[in-house]
Amino acid sequence: MPLPSLSYLIDPDEKDRIRLRLKNISKRFPGVLALDQVNFDLKVGEVHAICGENGAGKTTLMNILSGNLQPDEGSIFLHGDEVKITDPQEAQRQGIGIVYQEKSLVGNLSVADNIFAGNQPVSKWHLIDRRKLINQTQQLLRKLGMHDIDAHGRVDKLSPGKQQMVEIAKALSRDPQILILDEPTAAISEQDTKVLFKIVRLMVSQGKSVIYISHRMSEIFEVSDRVTVLKDGKYQNTLGTKDTNVNEIIRLMVGRDIKEFDYQNLSTSEVVLSVSELEGDRFKNISFQLHRSEILGFAGLVGAGRSEIAQSIFGVTPDTGGQVLIRGKKVKSNEVANAIENGLGYLPENRKEQGLFLEMSVEDNISSVKSNTQTRGIFIERKGNAALTEEFVRQLNIKTPSGKTKVVSLSGGNQQKIVLAKWLAVNPDILIVDEPTAGIDVGAKSEIYQLLNQLTMAGTSIIMISSDLPELLGICDRILVFRHGRITADLSREKFSEEEIMHYSSGTKDMYREKI
Amino acid sequence: MSFNSNIFQDRVVTLALTIVVLIVVSSIIWPQQFFSLENLSLVLLNLSIDAIVAVGMMILLISGAFDLSVGSVVAFAGGFAGYLMYYWGVYVPVAILAALAVSVVIGFVNGWLVAKVGINPLIQTLAMMGIVRGLALMVSGSGIQNLPDSFNRLGQAQFLGFQLPVWYMIAIVIIFSFLVARTIFFRRYYYIGGNEKAALLSGIQVGKMKIYSFILMSFLAGLAGIILASRLGAAMPTTGQGLELKVITAVILGGASLLGGQGKIVGALLGTLFMGIIANIMILARVSGYWQQIIFGIILIAAVAIDLLLQKRADRMATALVKMKQFEKFDT
Repeated sequence: MPLPSLSYLIDPDEKDRIRLRLKNISKRFPGVLALDQVNFDLKVGEVHAICGENGAGKTTLMNILSGNLQPDEGSIFLHGDEVKITDPQEAQRQGIGIVYQEKSLVGNLSVADNIFAGNQPVSKWHLIDRRKLINQTQQLLRKLGMHDIDAHGRVDKLSPGKQQMVEIAKALSRDPQILILDEPTAAISEQDTKVLFKIVRLMVSQGKSVIYISHRMSEIFEVSDRVTVLKDGKYQNTLGTKDTNVNEIIRLMVGRDIKEFDYQNLSTSEVVLSVSELEGDRFKNISFQLHRSEILGFAGLVGAGRSEIAQSIFGVTPDTGGQVLIRGKKVKSNEVANAIENGLGYLPENRKEQGLFLEMSVEDNISSVKSNTQTRGIFIERKGNAALTEEFVRQLNIKTPSGKTKVVSLSGGNQQKIVLAKWLAVNPDILIVDEPTAGIDVGAKSEIYQLLNQLTMAGTSIIMISSDLPELLGICDRILVFRHGRITADLSREKFSEEEIMHYSSGTKDMYREKI
Repeated sequence: MSFNSNIFQDRVVTLALTIVVLIVVSSIIWPQQFFSLENLSLVLLNLSIDAIVAVGMMILLISGAFDLSVGSVVAFAGGFAGYLMYYWGVYVPVAILAALAVSVVIGFVNGWLVAKVGINPLIQTLAMMGIVRGLALMVSGSGIQNLPDSFNRLGQAQFLGFQLPVWYMIAIVIIFSFLVARTIFFRRYYYIGGNEKAALLSGIQVGKMKIYSFILMSFLAGLAGIILASRLGAAMPTTGQGLELKVITAVILGGASLLGGQGKIVGALLGTLFMGIIANIMILARVSGYWQQIIFGIILIAAVAIDLLLQKRADRMATALVKMKQFEKFDT
């Protein structure tokens, strides 16, 4: 068993004082040891990242810190005193704030009402003091650099990314000494990520501490001071971020090296999808072509209209103009079943809300598209579906006890593979994948990249919408950049660079503006 | 442990066991009155109309919707058939088909407005409940008696000791149990109830499917209304009042959830059977009729509350299971 870090004993400097210490924390669930003698310490004024694959115990550890779970063994020390965090309210009293992955906002209330939910300023009659509430909210948002969020605005009118920012503002409104961020950037734009990092640095400079959980290595290296790696519920090591590198961390996380991208140029000249002058509520003048075996990336900020374009091509939302040709044939728009029949598949952005039937079995999920669109018979092909499921469980390495297991009980990476499998089952000619690796661990990510590559080898063409730039740069043959519902660049692989794409997606460059 | 958490969480199993216990206990207490073919036949006859409606309601609840207009459709379909036969002398089969056709139209209107216009099913079918009740009063006034014998026989004739409505009920339950469990068409309602957006993105024509389900519901309610009229030999405009809530109660007792995605047809039968037996017991025990609704209310709350408590326990177990599975991932 590794020894806990001893650095705090050596350095007496205030900045390096230990604020929080977890000692030999264990948590047992029936039949499994979720955390096994985990040690962790958090210094005053540091950002401490926690890494690990899905199921490594990060979330359990955070649930213990936030009072949602009680450890079976071990102790928690705050400023050297042992504390018991009995419930979330106690965590709040102790100055621990957490931004959960799942949203805790009420959509039809205003931003201000959400941020100060439960502790609104009151007048002397114990009525909510609206003016004070709005003022405080505006002050807070200004202080945090979230200038584009209106304190009066309803939360459900905001984009998912902005909602996440409100969530962060809500946690910060209580002025926590320790802030836990659990995958905070999964849904937010690059710009908001910068705002978030600024907030994190500001907190740290005021002597507060941040625990940062993320699957995105680049962020961890950008923002954190130290990294603690967990694997299988066991503490692996704590490293100074400056003294380590991505490969070392991944090795600690998964116990092996992972080759992230494996680019092959398979793109042909045959056009399988031709979109011209497509127009909808949130986009216009969209024209591009997709070639057989090509992986075409859609880059852009959150809200640039990429998903809307994909859904329009797929027939979910009606377009208001333009045309879509699949292999030269015009398709009836506004009919998903028709799109599927023409060989289109669409892996939606939000797997839980749009992709999965959580309370149904793995088998029902995997066979959902095939049985509803391709099976000609009247009866459910139970044997066929079972065989199909077995095949994909094996091929995609889906970790599930059986095909009858409810999908809700599986991890995010496995759920995502199931959404992929339901499309692979119909063998689509063109597959649109929308944020296919959001919130899943490096191991599963790499498997999904390999899978997409295999598909192109078999002749499938792929449109990949992603906010993860390194991923687009790593896997795509060509990238279209979108801004405000327009295409601003069409970049071939030799012109790929993060800077270029950022220029085109933020509006500082535009390939087509001058020409118009 | 796994036995405990799996089998006893299936409402069909717990309800069936409860019914068995009720039957055994009642047979011991009232050996002559309860445990006789006549009584059994009567209990089944009384619940046959409810059960036929419950089959349609179960399918709607699986898809995440429900229909409050069924009680009115029962009255209207019987009244319309009666009107055609009594006042216009229309042939019995034609009158029946016409009443069924009108029921289908009502279902189509419900379904179309819910699916295409987006009216909430509660509001749509609540409004339709009032409209159709009014139509029922218009066609049958203070009731139509002296319906043709050939029509009355359909609901009054006996076969193997049971009146025909019992056999209709059994046939409908068996047919729909099979269809709902085995066909792709009906499986789509589980997908829609489970996640409507995902169902749409999986190529299911959600709008059309919703319309079909409301049509089927009204068709079954109309059929039940015709059977009821023939059994009574009369079409009364007030029949089926409160039936919608009784049927929804039974279906939820039988394992459906208002959130959709859950339930089996046999659960609809067991739910109505359970309520029928309780009603029968209360009569045998000479409990005042006023108590019936109170007791059904208490039973519904108790059943759902127990469900939620079991669910909480199951969730705790599931959380643990998830952790376990995630660990299996590394146990290679």
